[in-house]
Amino acid sequence: MPETKASTSTHERLIWRVAEVAKIVDETPRVKSLVLDVPGWPGHRPGQHVDVRLTAEDGYQAQRSYSVASEPENTRLMLTVELIEEGEVSPYLTSDVRPGDKFELRGPIGGYFVWTVAIGGPLFLVAGGSGIAPLMSMLRYRAAVKSTIPALLLYSSRTFEDIIYREELDQMAARDGLTVVYTLTRRQPSGWSGGARRIDRSMLASVSPSVTARPRIFICGPTSLVESTAESLLELGYERNFIKTERFGPTGA
Amino acid sequence: MDHQEEAGLPLDGNAASGLLSELFALDVTVAEVTCDCCGAVTQIGETRVYGGVMGAIFRCARCDSVVMRLVHTPVGIWLDMRGSHCLFTPLVER
Repeated sequence: MPETKASTSTHERLIWRVAEVAKIVDETPRVKSLVLDVPGWPGHRPGQHVDVRLTAEDGYQAQRSYSVASEPENTRLMLTVELIEEGEVSPYLTSDVRPGDKFELRGPIGGYFVWTVAIGGPLFLVAGGSGIAPLMSMLRYRAAVKSTIPALLLYSSRTFEDIIYREELDQMAARDGLTVVYTLTRRQPSGWSGGARRIDRSMLASVSPSVTARPRIFICGPTSLVESTAESLLELGYERNFIKTERFGPTGA
Repeated sequence: MDHQEEAGLPLDGNAASGLLSELFALDVTVAEVTCDCCGAVTQIGETRVYGGVMGAIFRCARCDSVVMRLVHTPVGIWLDMRGSHCLFTPLVER
């Protein structure tokens, strides 16, 4: 298990490292996961992210941030990338990249949006679309360390086919004491018994752990979902200090 | 809401943490900044950030006034902390 240096919030000055693509996983029609080997990787904490830099033959560089979706216990790094049609980086990472390809990567970055067992629980995670990535790192870490801290995930996707990591989440729900609530905002399969609309205050009120349980809350996804969810949870009485947010912009392109 | 509509909305301090890491030795996404305008103490990770690869404007999570500006230029890094009067960065993991 790699030693996670981040037991204090200091870090060595971050350097650009070379990441090599070991494997590519098709998650959904628009989302792929890249499994990377990064020599010298110092380890990370669940929820942190990396900066990825691509350099074209003419020297042009494009840089984007991606959450690390894998758990610290995994020696390989997994990034989950959603194709943004007009993006500069995601089309390469989702369509053109091949095993053996290399690009630059810097991290781990960000101690604000991090959960470890030491922070306690119960754990309440709210995800919109590809915002599931850093939360998946937390859930995979929770499974790897066999934590019994209760965890609940509320996950909003457009359609059933767009649910990233669905099989793995269903396995965790069966095996690791994780409760998963899916909501599909655009189209639902026939016989669907999950949520069928965008996350709103009444859904949060009926799904969330009780306020008195003082859950540690992590919300990640598009800015609009993150802000409205955080606002609703504050109105419902959850503690501000326990609500951490990470907004994914369309700039995750 | 599709990506075009989302494009005008801000991100947060997490998005600028790579930029911040080039200047600060400590992780300031967990640092607490005190807003000059409304007095709120919030973590940098919560602030609303407008910016790109070379710079960012950090706005108070409560009142939206500017608490920090960070700009990378080819010759150096500018940090403008008008709008905040204190930045406290913890040394140990909470």
